[in-house]
Order: sequence, then C-alpha cells, then structure tokens
Amino acid sequence: MFKFLSLRRPINMLIIANIIAFGLLYFYKKPYDKLVLVEGLAVTALICVSYFLIIKKNMGDEYLFLVVAMLASLGVLMIYRLDQELGFKQIMWLVAGIVLFFLSFYFYTKIKFLEKLMLYYFAASILLFIATLIIGSNINGSTNWIRIAGYSFQPSELIKILFVMTIACFFKNSEQFIFKTKTLNLKWKLNNKEFKNKIAFFLIVYSYIGFLVLQKEWGTALLLFLIFFMILYAFEDDIKLLLLNGAAAVSGALVGCFFVYHIKIRVAMWLNPWADAAGKGYQITQSLFAIGAGGFFGSGIGMGKPNLIPEVKTDFIFSAICEETGIFGGIAVILLYFILVYRGFKITLYTKDLFKKLVALGITLMFGFQTFIIIGGVIKLIPLTGITLPFISYGGSSLTSGFIALGILQALSKESYLGEEVIENAAE
Amino acid sequence: MFDILSSLLKYIFITIIYLFIFGVIRLIYLDISSASKQKFVIKKNTSYLKLINIRESLDFKVEETYSLGKGVDIGRSGKNSIVIKDPYMSSKHASFLFKDGKYFIHDSGSTNGTFINGKEVKKTPQPLKDGDKIRIGQIDFLFVAGG
Repeated sequence: MFKFLSLRRPINMLIIANIIAFGLLYFYKKPYDKLVLVEGLAVTALICVSYFLIIKKNMGDEYLFLVVAMLASLGVLMIYRLDQELGFKQIMWLVAGIVLFFLSFYFYTKIKFLEKLMLYYFAASILLFIATLIIGSNINGSTNWIRIAGYSFQPSELIKILFVMTIACFFKNSEQFIFKTKTLNLKWKLNNKEFKNKIAFFLIVYSYIGFLVLQKEWGTALLLFLIFFMILYAFEDDIKLLLLNGAAAVSGALVGCFFVYHIKIRVAMWLNPWADAAGKGYQITQSLFAIGAGGFFGSGIGMGKPNLIPEVKTDFIFSAICEETGIFGGIAVILLYFILVYRGFKITLYTKDLFKKLVALGITLMFGFQTFIIIGGVIKLIPLTGITLPFISYGGSSLTSGFIALGILQALSKESYLGEEVIENAAE
Repeated sequence: MFDILSSLLKYIFITIIYLFIFGVIRLIYLDISSASKQKFVIKKNTSYLKLINIRESLDFKVEETYSLGKGVDIGRSGKNSIVIKDPYMSSKHASFLFKDGKYFIHDSGSTNGTFINGKEVKKTPQPLKDGDKIRIGQIDFLFVAGG
C-alpha cells in the first residue's frame, strides 16, 4: 500500500508537483475559484490514467510520456498564472493532445504502408502551404495561420511531421521516386539515376524551406534545415553533398543577414539589444531582465512580473519560468528535454527498420532543435526566431502536433522493445 | 497570505521537480544496466557470424558476433543491416540470404570481393555450411550454423 507513496516513483512526484501548483493557483486571485482545483484534479487524473494505461497495455517506453506530462503541467501552470482564460484553453488542448497521442499511437501501429507514401506527404504539405498563402491570416508579421470556424490553426506545425516522414521515405526507398529513366547518357548510366533522385530530393527539401521563407517563418525554416542536415550527416555517405548543403545554407543565411530586413534586425538585436532597448530590442531585454530577476530560486509563482515581456505565453515562456522558479527551474526544464531527447536517440538506435529509424531520429531532432532554437533565442545565445517551446508554450496546434509526434515515437519505441524481447526469450 | 505561501512553496516545488528528474534517471539507469547484460546473448538454434580477427587489431567498431536472422546485408553504408566501417569494404558489400533452411551468400558488386575459404564468391548465391570462413574486407568471419 505504502509502496505507492514512495518518493522513488516519479509519477508520485508529478502528482505532488501538480497539487502544489494548482493549490497555489487557487489562492492566486482573491475571489477563490473552485474551478481551478477541479481542472487541476482532472488534468492530474488524466495524466495518471494515461501513464498507467501505457504501462498496463505494454505500450513501450514509459518515460517519454512521463517527461512530457511534467513539461506540459509546468506549461499549464505558467500559462494559467499569466492568463486564466488562456490557461483554461491550454488545459482543453492538453486533453485533446493526450487523446491525439493515443490515436496516433494506434494508427501508427496499425497502418503498415506509411513508408510508401512519400509523394502524398509532399503533396499534402504543398497543399497546406498554398492554403496558408491564400487564405492565411497575418499574426505578428508572418502569414502562417489558417482560421476555420473561429479557431486559428498553424499548418507549419503539422508540416514538420510531414517533412520528417518525407525524408524517411526517401532514404528507405528512393526507388518509389519520380525518376525511373534508363535512357540518357551512357557514360553516366550507373550513377545517373541515383544522382538525379538526390537532386530531386534536395529540390523537395528546399521547396519546403522556400515556402516557409515565403511565409517569413524563419525559425521553422531553420529547424527543418537542421533536421535535414543532421539526417544527411547520419545516413549519407557522400561527404561532398553534405558540404554542398552546408555551403548553400551558410550562403543563404549570409544573404538573409545582409539583405532581408527582418533578419537584419534580429541579428542586430542579438549582437547588441541595448542599442535600442526600448524599441526593437524591448522583447529580448525584458526577457533578460526577467531571467536575471529570478535569481537562484525565483520570485515564487505569481510573484514576478513576467507579463512585461511581449509574447510571454508562447515564445518567451521560458523567461517566465526562469523568473518565477529561478535558474534551478530553468535548468530543470532543460534537463527534462535532455531526458526526452536521450530516450528518442535510444529508440532510434534500437530500431532495426531504416524507415522507422529515420522517423524516430527526425522526431527526436525536431524536439531537440526546437527547444535549442527557442531557449537559445530567449537567453540571447543565438538570434531570436519565434517558434514555440514544445509542450510548454501556449498554442493548440503546437501542443497537439507535439503529441501526435510523441505518439509516433511511442509506437516506434514499442516496436524497438519487441525486438529486444525476441533476444531475451532466445536467451532462456 | 499568498505571498508567504508562494515564497515558501517555491523551494518545495523546485525540489520536487528535481526529485522527479532524479527518479526518472534512476529508473533509466536500472533499465540500461539490466539491458546491457543481455546484449551478446545469441539464441542457441540460430545461425550467426563469429569474428576470427582479434578485435583490438582493427581500428573500427566491430562486434564479436552478428546474428543472421532472415538474411542481412553487410557493408560500409549506414543503410545495411550490418554496418562495419572497414575502409576495405564497399558501401554495399555482400548479402546473406535464408532459403529452405539454408544460408546463402552473394557479393553485391564489391571492389575487394567476398571469399569463402579463400574462394571468391560472385553474384550467384553460394550455400554456406557450418565452419565456413568468410572474408569480407579486412575481416574474417566464422559461419556457425544453428540447430
């Protein structure tokens, strides 16, 4: 009986943390709202039920969900404290995300022909891109939202997953590809097909990035390029192609730095935000003030002034966490991401099938780089680009697509575990 | 009232998050230390390749045994099921096939060739029997048939 209360079980720690968090939120504003406690109880219960379902049904890696649940509860806590209404919405999105997590787990284990759909993934992404360009609405300077029946939705979040699938399909089986020509120059006959396939593949990848640049989503464009480059590094033997892509990216970035107004400002504000601290550098300087004000243990939840930072609920949520729970809280968040990425790499290494390996690697890199880009941005380590912090930032599309990707990773972890079990049984 | 509560609870809250992280890492550690013990166990009735060379004399990563399963590819490129970064190996060097309870090997157009007991194997699959010595790149394998 008391084993369930042991401090060694991480799920108990999660429950205690949630009780403290929602208890504090209950006392935060004067007309005490019982709804906060009910919502907190519901979220905690949902997390526990999902966790025990994962263990009981043998759904593979149990730590992935645990770590993500901790991150998501921290996010809900912070957003609720910043804005009660959005906090309630975020809880709704979290519930939807967990449902989608199980759905994507189920569908990924059932559907077996995912590796043959390369062109469909590409076509779907292009459709989403074009839809965004035509009917998309402009929020904060980038045209990247679609409004349907009052809900705005960010297609680029979904496109990230489609992008990973496209790359994985190519590496698994480049034969399904467009070019099956046997004619052309006799001299090149052997290498030509492969070479042409690669060229077409690069065109596909760069068309993704090009569309994102058209929408002025620099952060996501950078993220997709980093995923692509890392996968190329891991699975492509030809070092020349790698160098070529690196050179293309560097020259692209340099052109952006000198000729594109948006990027020019971002780089200037990265090098010296104090030159225009009240204007263009306001966001980053406020973020630095907030992190600095937090100190070691922070001001305590509800005691700081993170509302001064613009966009604090989405991009700058890490600064708010640092202000109110201190640098220890910030480091804890980063450590949680480390565990998540570590588990992702472990799943990648244990998976045998090439397509699944690539999907696992792509999703892991997506979480890892996304965290790096945005946390690096708010602490002024790299130029700031606006993307969300996975699982913590406010935003329905970001949270749900994160959970869909996590569901796929969970399904892959189950398969890689099954592979291990075969060896274990053999040993007996 | 809220101020005091919040400034007291922040220490507890952070401690609990770290206990959570510690708990997860501890469980992962236990998981790994139990898993690594079973890494080199090979099923009794499966066929496998055994390394003859002394592992320390090779300057790339190679394991003591490789299970053959239902047929594998071997080569230097990351796309093969057995990846060995031997500079004398081609990116796709040779393939093992499993047909009618027997293993066959054939060369996949490698530069330096594949040899069974010193005899070169071409593109036509050659049957393997227990105790055959297979040379691929710089490496000598012993084929051990299961059963």
